[in-house]
Amino acid sequence: MPIQGAALRVVDDENAAAAGDAGPDAASSVAPVTGRRSASPYRERIIDATLACLARHGTLKTTVDDIARGAGVSRATVYRVFPGGRDEILGAVVDTEMARLFSALGVKLGEADDLEDALVSGIVEASSRLRNHQALAYLVEHEPEMVLGHLAFDESDRLLGAASRFTAPFLARWMSPMEAGRVAEWATRIVLSFAVSPSAETDLTDPVTTAHLVETFVLPGIAALHTAVAAPSIDITPFADRSSGTERLSDTD
Amino acid sequence: MDDTRQRILEATYACVARWGLAKTTVEDAAREAKVSRATVYRAFPGGRDELITAVVAWATLVFFAKLREQVEGATSLEEVMERGLTFAHRSIVEHEVLQRVMQTEPEKLLPALTFESTRIRQGIAGFLSPYLEQRGLADGVDLAEAADFLARMVLSYIAAPGRWDLDDPVQVAQLVRAELLAGVVTARPGEVDPS
Repeated sequence: MPIQGAALRVVDDENAAAAGDAGPDAASSVAPVTGRRSASPYRERIIDATLACLARHGTLKTTVDDIARGAGVSRATVYRVFPGGRDEILGAVVDTEMARLFSALGVKLGEADDLEDALVSGIVEASSRLRNHQALAYLVEHEPEMVLGHLAFDESDRLLGAASRFTAPFLARWMSPMEAGRVAEWATRIVLSFAVSPSAETDLTDPVTTAHLVETFVLPGIAALHTAVAAPSIDITPFADRSSGTERLSDTD
Repeated sequence: MDDTRQRILEATYACVARWGLAKTTVEDAAREAKVSRATVYRAFPGGRDELITAVVAWATLVFFAKLREQVEGATSLEEVMERGLTFAHRSIVEHEVLQRVMQTEPEKLLPALTFESTRIRQGIAGFLSPYLEQRGLADGVDLAEAADFLARMVLSYIAAPGRWDLDDPVQVAQLVRAELLAGVVTARPGEVDPS
């Protein structure tokens, strides 16, 4: 009984392959739903049952027994699939939900006819999924420290790196890989900012509002970025000497 | 803010710098401030929890007051943004207490910091508004909307620079002119190259 139902289940082989193409490091930060670890037919059932538990009780009150009951399997089965128990399951839930979000984004970005369409549909898709995620909503409300840790400082850099590394190749249809990396990161910042502190005026789950924001602020910025990058007097060598290891420019070249 | 409250907050901050958020108690703060426990409770009836929330808010305020001071003399919107981003980034990297608490007890710090972020964003937007008005907005751009957008982006970049090296003046100039201001203000030919 997955709480998000089929809406979240948009992972198919084609998109998993696209995720694999996102860059050499993509697999490590964007754990694919498919692959070796999904060999057990119970894996996804356990993860979806955990999501349902999280949406009702959060991480603190969710036990392996609850998860097993929700998944309709025995405790022993849960531990066979996840020997590390609750902590390993929670880690797998985060990886899976990230991969599901990125897969859904991949579908939208892949279908887009032009840059504006890609930006608008990508931002709307990501914002809507974040807003409608019941487990995430419970945690933000009752255990904010579980969520916020991923949104601040170094962790936020990692999240920006992962999200933009995945989405940049789709934007590279309209710009250089290097510009695409920056624009993908920028769009991720916009989504995260409005997800963490929603605005009464700007609802990024609404395509019309988002199109206005993209036209007003983002498209002119992309044009300016292109001009600046094209100017030979300006050398931007991003991340070359950053130790975080989240991204190197050459990855997307 | 009255003197006692201010003194207790400064003392609490000193304790947090030494022992972290979790281990700082009302007794510690009282001893450091040279006041009684009762005085601390009178100023912060919620006790330890209120004190911790208040000290995060206070330290954040101190940080942004310094940031404001740093950009106050700037003559253009571009300069405000450049100086602000550079200073804020460096201050966060070099902020020993913030860095240590982020490392050791982010779960205690982040909810309080996030709670503050709305107020901080409004503060930044309010600070930038006169500069935006003076600089001239692009056609069809609403002042409040532009100020809020810029404040959000400023907070995002200083919290996590991502691909941008905010220690490099050329990159900062480029970031400000492209992702921050390109859609917001009227174009100023000849200013594309920041060097």
